[in-house]
Amino acid sequence: MRDLRARLDVLPLGCVTRPPAMRSDRPFEVIEQRIELSTLGLSVVGQSEPDARVMTHLGLNGASPSRWEDIVFLDTETTGLMGGTGTYVFLLGTAHIRDGELVLRQHLLHDLGSEAAFVAALREELAPFRACASYNGKCFDLPLLRTRFVMTLRSDLSVDESHLDLLHPARRLWRDRFGSTSLRQLEDSVLDIVREDDIPGALIPERYFRWLALRETGLIQPILDHNARDIVSLVRITDRIAQAVIDARAGRAPDHAPAAFALGKAFDRAGEHDIAYLCYESAYADADGELRIRVALPYAKALEVRGHGDRALRMVELLLELGLGTPRWRAQAEARVRRLARIMAKRCAPSKTSATRRTRSAAGSSPALS
Amino acid sequence: MRTDVRFPARTSLAQILDVFERDPEFLSQVTHWERIPPKAPRYAPFPDWLDPRIARSLRARDIEALYSHQAAALNAAHAKKHVVVVTPTASGKTLCYDLPVLDAIAKDPSARALFLFPTKALAQDQLAELERLSTDMEIELKTFTYDGDTPPQARAAIRSAGHVVITNPDMLHTGILPHHTKWVKLFENLQYVVLDELHTYRGVFGSNVGNVLRRLRRICAFYGSHPTFILTSATIANPEELARRHVEEDVLVIDESGAPRGEKVIVFIQPPVVNAGLGIRRSALLTGRDIAATLLASGIQTIAFARSRVQTELLLTYLRARFPQPQWPPELIRGYRGGYLPSERRAIERGLRDGSVRGVVSTNALELGIDIGALQAAVLVGYPGTVASTWQQMGRAGRREDLSVAFLVATSSPTDQYIVQHPEFVLGRSPEAGLINPDNLHVLVGHLKCAAFELPFERTERFGTEDTQGVLSYLDEHGILHESDGRYHWSDQAFPAEAMSLRTASNDNVVIIDTTDGRTRVIGEVDRFAAPVLVHEQAIYLHESKQFQVEKLDWENAKAYLREVKVDYYTDAGLAVRIRVLADFATSTEKATRSHGEVLVSALATVYKKLTLYTHENVGWGKIHLPEQELQTTSFWLSLPERVTRAWPKERLEGALAGLGNLLHALAPLFLMCDPHDLGLAVEVRSPHTSLPTIFLFDMTPGGVGFSERLFRSTEPLLERAAEHLANCPCAEGCPSCVGPAYALGAKVKVGVAELLRQLA
Repeated sequence: MRDLRARLDVLPLGCVTRPPAMRSDRPFEVIEQRIELSTLGLSVVGQSEPDARVMTHLGLNGASPSRWEDIVFLDTETTGLMGGTGTYVFLLGTAHIRDGELVLRQHLLHDLGSEAAFVAALREELAPFRACASYNGKCFDLPLLRTRFVMTLRSDLSVDESHLDLLHPARRLWRDRFGSTSLRQLEDSVLDIVREDDIPGALIPERYFRWLALRETGLIQPILDHNARDIVSLVRITDRIAQAVIDARAGRAPDHAPAAFALGKAFDRAGEHDIAYLCYESAYADADGELRIRVALPYAKALEVRGHGDRALRMVELLLELGLGTPRWRAQAEARVRRLARIMAKRCAPSKTSATRRTRSAAGSSPALS
Repeated sequence: MRTDVRFPARTSLAQILDVFERDPEFLSQVTHWERIPPKAPRYAPFPDWLDPRIARSLRARDIEALYSHQAAALNAAHAKKHVVVVTPTASGKTLCYDLPVLDAIAKDPSARALFLFPTKALAQDQLAELERLSTDMEIELKTFTYDGDTPPQARAAIRSAGHVVITNPDMLHTGILPHHTKWVKLFENLQYVVLDELHTYRGVFGSNVGNVLRRLRRICAFYGSHPTFILTSATIANPEELARRHVEEDVLVIDESGAPRGEKVIVFIQPPVVNAGLGIRRSALLTGRDIAATLLASGIQTIAFARSRVQTELLLTYLRARFPQPQWPPELIRGYRGGYLPSERRAIERGLRDGSVRGVVSTNALELGIDIGALQAAVLVGYPGTVASTWQQMGRAGRREDLSVAFLVATSSPTDQYIVQHPEFVLGRSPEAGLINPDNLHVLVGHLKCAAFELPFERTERFGTEDTQGVLSYLDEHGILHESDGRYHWSDQAFPAEAMSLRTASNDNVVIIDTTDGRTRVIGEVDRFAAPVLVHEQAIYLHESKQFQVEKLDWENAKAYLREVKVDYYTDAGLAVRIRVLADFATSTEKATRSHGEVLVSALATVYKKLTLYTHENVGWGKIHLPEQELQTTSFWLSLPERVTRAWPKERLEGALAGLGNLLHALAPLFLMCDPHDLGLAVEVRSPHTSLPTIFLFDMTPGGVGFSERLFRSTEPLLERAAEHLANCPCAEGCPSCVGPAYALGAKVKVGVAELLRQLA
């Protein structure tokens, strides 16, 4: 029998082999920075009391915190991108507001063997907060954190339920305009920031393992910087989204039609139909072509609810007469026209027949039966 | 009497058997006619601990008692003893695990169970059965299958709410264990793990599954549960050993079936020699076709098993030709094998149950417990390779209590000839053992990585019998694990389970695309190792008895493009094999020099032959241009001492060595419970490693699963069996049933091999 080592040497290991990790004299470290809020150009976050309806709009489940100070912004860096129990969270960056400053704290794990102490510290860190905000945390950061909590402490996350995942409202507002809604894209397009020397996310796991082996600051610093920038951008994006919601509620719908439309739908879902109506109106006015067709039906419904059924009917009929829309849309539009015509007919009984006839011709169906 | 064209004769099976038995020509091919008498049931009362709802609902179905083996299994499981139930097909094995699980959940709704089936299709069958039981019993039970087909949105609910999770080892390996934190409820409360068809978990698949179970137990221990294993198996020689290697604790064997059995007739058929000179017998396929056709024409619902996909398709074609349209619509006889789409398979299974499909020709895909109802007759074309498979295939006929029949038709292969000449090999106590080698380093290290990914390793922890600590520190030195505070942590960004298949060396399949008339339709797939032989360019590929020719094989992207053709030949590809010895584990020079060790096998598909249908004449050939496939595995090798062969002319030596290789290769599976193609053969007249004439018998699965060591230890009985078989073979100069055809190996091959065996004895 060959000796174990020789036999292992011929096996394909299927992993990047690298020098083993170097010992560290401490389990983890905490790096703290403070940034003056006034330097971040925020208009809502940390400025006025959080508005429960704005919070709902940002995707919060559960009770809204009464102070911005109760919200923790977070972003993790991990040892793998595929998840699973062997993927560690090695860096948790958090930010919260305290005394006019944004307090940025980074917990960096120095040794995988010290994870239990690290995770216990993370629990302490998150415990005081009522809610957390992240970018795509629902699918990525939080499941991973939860796994680490179960693995090391056999406990659950304290902030899990009250979670604002900014990815979804950001998508609503900006996907149509910018295509991608990656945090990087939004920094560039919404915040007008260009990152230089940023480490691509895909390289981070291997870079961290190399740092564990070599302990060279040059390996870990770019990851810390990357994480810090992500969190600051997260805070600023949150602010922009909240501002857009507040503006819309004040009658200033976004001037970009797809955003106005998306916001309108979100307001509808939140039961704020008046604001939804304003957003649809703005979107319909600014939209062109295909988007205008998509806005038309929700807008028509909003018009109808507000007692402008006649305007709604005229609008949809016009689009149908122009021959616009996909067959599926046209079927929906025709149903809407029939419904509107019925309502109009009920409202002014004497002109019943004419309304019905108009409907039929508009719908392009068979000649009148009578 | 109304005559139905589909059942022209409506003769009873007893009458047909009577006709067979009176036909001297037929009887001349029969080496053995076994009549197994019916057996009365043996009952045992419901255990008194059984939840009253279960007993009540069983009584409502006119079940007043359990079969004795069921009661024994229930009592063992209830006492938290691991148990393996080894009883025949259709003896009610399912209740042996369904009832303890239902009882546990009836008493404690937080209890959980995990069912593992070797295939997805079996899982679907069991789901339906368990749901029916729990509804009848008014026990609140949420059962789900969790596999690759489970929709993502349903998965969260299954993880937290599923009482019984039905899955397969592959899904447990990649989808559940590496995400155990999402399954906290399951692992904290896991009372039972059910492993059905244990005997299928052997060889490389079994060695992998053994390790998946080690990982499962680690995770259960982490969450504080200690599940009881309930296993079932077909009859094998070593159920206790195989179960213990999987569970790694004591397992109680229950092998006395209390179920009744109908009368069963088993007929061993040896087709006649048609060319005495060449030692060629009549084709088993044609003989099997004739028997199946006789049965089908009499209205007997019949299943025919063939040994390969190609054979299945050929037999289907031959059979359909016997039953011309329009009286016999082709749907009355169907083909069934891996490579058909799942929807197609479900339709065939339904047709068999409701009787609209009268005959089916299948590979071993229908051997396991897929519910196809009770058939009356089974025709096995060729020995299926193991006694366990033989019984399972024969068991597909006669699940009820009436008369059934099974025919085993031998091919010319030495194993088949051995079986029909020694029917006691099948009928007696099972001689074959299910082998696994979960400590195969190749397999073990892969799973050790997966296990470290799942939970850090304690320095003192043991994973299998290998030097766990040694492997851990090796991986630590390579930075794949990180040792700290007495524990080894996974320290790589890879997801190790993803890269490992439990079943084959290669993960990727070649997709088969039909491009006839400009369409592009996926009609099946083959694994990459088999692809150079099956779908090389110009190969004839058979699907649902239609012929397709491979027009283009896109090797990089794993796609084969085919077009339907009508030709009178099929193709058969040859493989050139080279061996390099990497390590010699053990050598013995007693009598012959023999060793076992680690080798690197290089296999290159070289040429293919075109052989005519029916007559198998060679009518052309072509070259195959595909990359060499490599396989690192374990091998047994046997060298001929110089004193024996020094004086032999080279040509004679070559022939005799090849002949001995063929003979040993053919008989070795009888000791190993492997399919013949699980073992590779290479013969070298002057091996670079031994400098002697050498025969290599190697494990076709990477890393090996223990075949070579077993052969090394039982070389003597193997050589004795070979000498005995050679002496009994009626051919003059050598034939495909013993050493291979004399026309290919030289007229003196049989004498030569006999001489070699004498020298080695």
